Amino acid sequence: MSALITVENLTLKFKTDEGLITAVDDVSFSLDKGEVIGLVGESGSGKSVTAKALMHLNAKNAVYTPESKITLHSDDGPVDVLSLTTPRQLNVVRGGAISMIFQEPMASFAPVISIGKQMVEQLQLHSNMTKAEAKAHSINMLDRVGISDPAKRIDQYAFELSGGMRQRAMIAMALSTKPKLLIADEPTTALDVTIQAQVIDLMKDLVEEFHMGILFITHDLGVVAQTADKVNVMYLGRMIEEGPVRDVIRNAKHPYTQGLLNALPKLNDLDSPLEPVPGDIPSPLERPSGCVFHTRCSQIVGPQCSSRQPRDVNVDPTHRVACHIYSEAAE
Amino acid sequence: MAMITLIIVSLVVFSLMELVPGDCAERYLAFKNTQGSGISIADIEQERVRLGLDRPFLERWGSWIANAFQGEFGDSCILRVNIAQLLGDKFWLSLGICFASLTLAYAIAIPVGIIAAASDNKLLNNSLRIVSYLGLAMPNFLLALMIMLFATVYFGNTLTGLYSDGFRDAPWSWAKFVDLMSHAWLPIFILGWSATAFALQTVRALMSDEIGKLYVTAASARGVHGRKLLWNYPARHALGPIVNSLGFDLNRIFNELPIVALILVLTDAGALLIEALARSNDQQLAGAIIFLLTASIVSLNFATDVLLAIIDPRVRKSILR
Repeated sequence: MSALITVENLTLKFKTDEGLITAVDDVSFSLDKGEVIGLVGESGSGKSVTAKALMHLNAKNAVYTPESKITLHSDDGPVDVLSLTTPRQLNVVRGGAISMIFQEPMASFAPVISIGKQMVEQLQLHSNMTKAEAKAHSINMLDRVGISDPAKRIDQYAFELSGGMRQRAMIAMALSTKPKLLIADEPTTALDVTIQAQVIDLMKDLVEEFHMGILFITHDLGVVAQTADKVNVMYLGRMIEEGPVRDVIRNAKHPYTQGLLNALPKLNDLDSPLEPVPGDIPSPLERPSGCVFHTRCSQIVGPQCSSRQPRDVNVDPTHRVACHIYSEAAE
Repeated sequence: MAMITLIIVSLVVFSLMELVPGDCAERYLAFKNTQGSGISIADIEQERVRLGLDRPFLERWGSWIANAFQGEFGDSCILRVNIAQLLGDKFWLSLGICFASLTLAYAIAIPVGIIAAASDNKLLNNSLRIVSYLGLAMPNFLLALMIMLFATVYFGNTLTGLYSDGFRDAPWSWAKFVDLMSHAWLPIFILGWSATAFALQTVRALMSDEIGKLYVTAASARGVHGRKLLWNYPARHALGPIVNSLGFDLNRIFNELPIVALILVLTDAGALLIEALARSNDQQLAGAIIFLLTASIVSLNFATDVLLAIIDPRVRKSILR
């Protein structure tokens, strides 16, 4: 399969009154057409910022290093995302080839504009459809994601729909322009577990039908196990482990990934205590030296952990990890 | 709903009028007493009957409110002239000036506030902040005095009053209106100045709040951009609370009016109210003015509620349901 989007050496800092804050530190990965990647990490790990960078959507105080490069391989040739400036150019990655759905479906619809109006507006920005065509297409999309009576729903407002319905409508809107990549930023976190499963099933169906790639951002490894082909684990802006989802979950290499997996409640052994990853995520103003995880790591191998950044090591051809435990073995 | 509010308010106003020690009959006769004529209790009682003050409270309130809705407020306690006549155009002129100031304030504050919130131009934002703080911090009467001083020194024109001499008692005509406007711009400007400063801060804060919301990010993630993004998304949503604050602002401007009016030698209703309350305990006159003012604010609030229902489907659907 060929790459849909490649991210190389993405480093992103935010200019604030307290100085530059590193949000993403030298992250590289690529996502193939039709592939689902789970981007996993705690809050503040830089996963949402990474995703927004793909749409060049970060706040104005974001600073990208010159080495950072994001390339979208569209049908009309490669697009250098970070060099896009005018709204017309940015349209390609904003709602054109890339769409995004957010954690809070309620908050991501404008409350006083009807759902239909927002859908039609987007379609008219990205296609030559007339208003009537765009509306018909939107009703079709709402129907496709399982919303009953779509012709009536389209003139309703977000506050008139239930949580699950809203997220379905959001998905319908995101997919209506037939994007190549869907970024889903914790799309199921705000939903009930049963609705969550429905929405995940829906997304899986749609990936196959539309043959899109999905970047699935979540802190829930359980959701990732059900949906993703590959998983990227981020911690404090660094990508610390990546690989096929089964490999990573069954055979996690990085102490942090192991910690995340241990922290999941085990339904078949309810007596075992929960094992949270010890400590708190450090303040972004005080980034640890060396390996960013060493302040919370239980498997420190030597002084290099706090002095040197670990290199990426391939434990097998598709499974990479950045940890001194494995760089020792490789050297 | 607005009607019910108004009737309740009228009851409160009427009760307050009653709470003031003494009544109109005593007051009038006390006034006569100072003129040298002797008064007995019987005189007071007689006067009470003449004024209808011997009837029960609710009955008097009923007839007062019925008359009030027809613009008839009876006679002033002290001045002994018909209140509707005494007020004449004053109340409506005062209200007009307040409305004009309010309109001026929001005509400036809405676009400027929105642009300031959306722009990250430090110079623009800081200069706006300074102007706003000047408007908020400088008392209106000081501004009025400064402008008058300036006008007197440089133009030899005192800028006081609302009409030129020839027009004061003339019947309404286009020429009189033009003359009025040539005087009224000054109080409108002075009252509008601090109202603008206040409104500007409100609009800007509301806008900054809306701009940071997720639906704005979501809209720009869909490719909505530029003016369309700004006006259809955060600005449209900030409008609701702005509309809501209009009634409150009108009240605030009306409160500021008497001081400015005093300096500019305008004979406005607000000044008349203070005079009625403080100098002469004239309950009838004070009650009439308070009732009229409340009626104006209630009507304005009713109008803003209608406006709110038009712009916000959440409000609209909760009413229709």
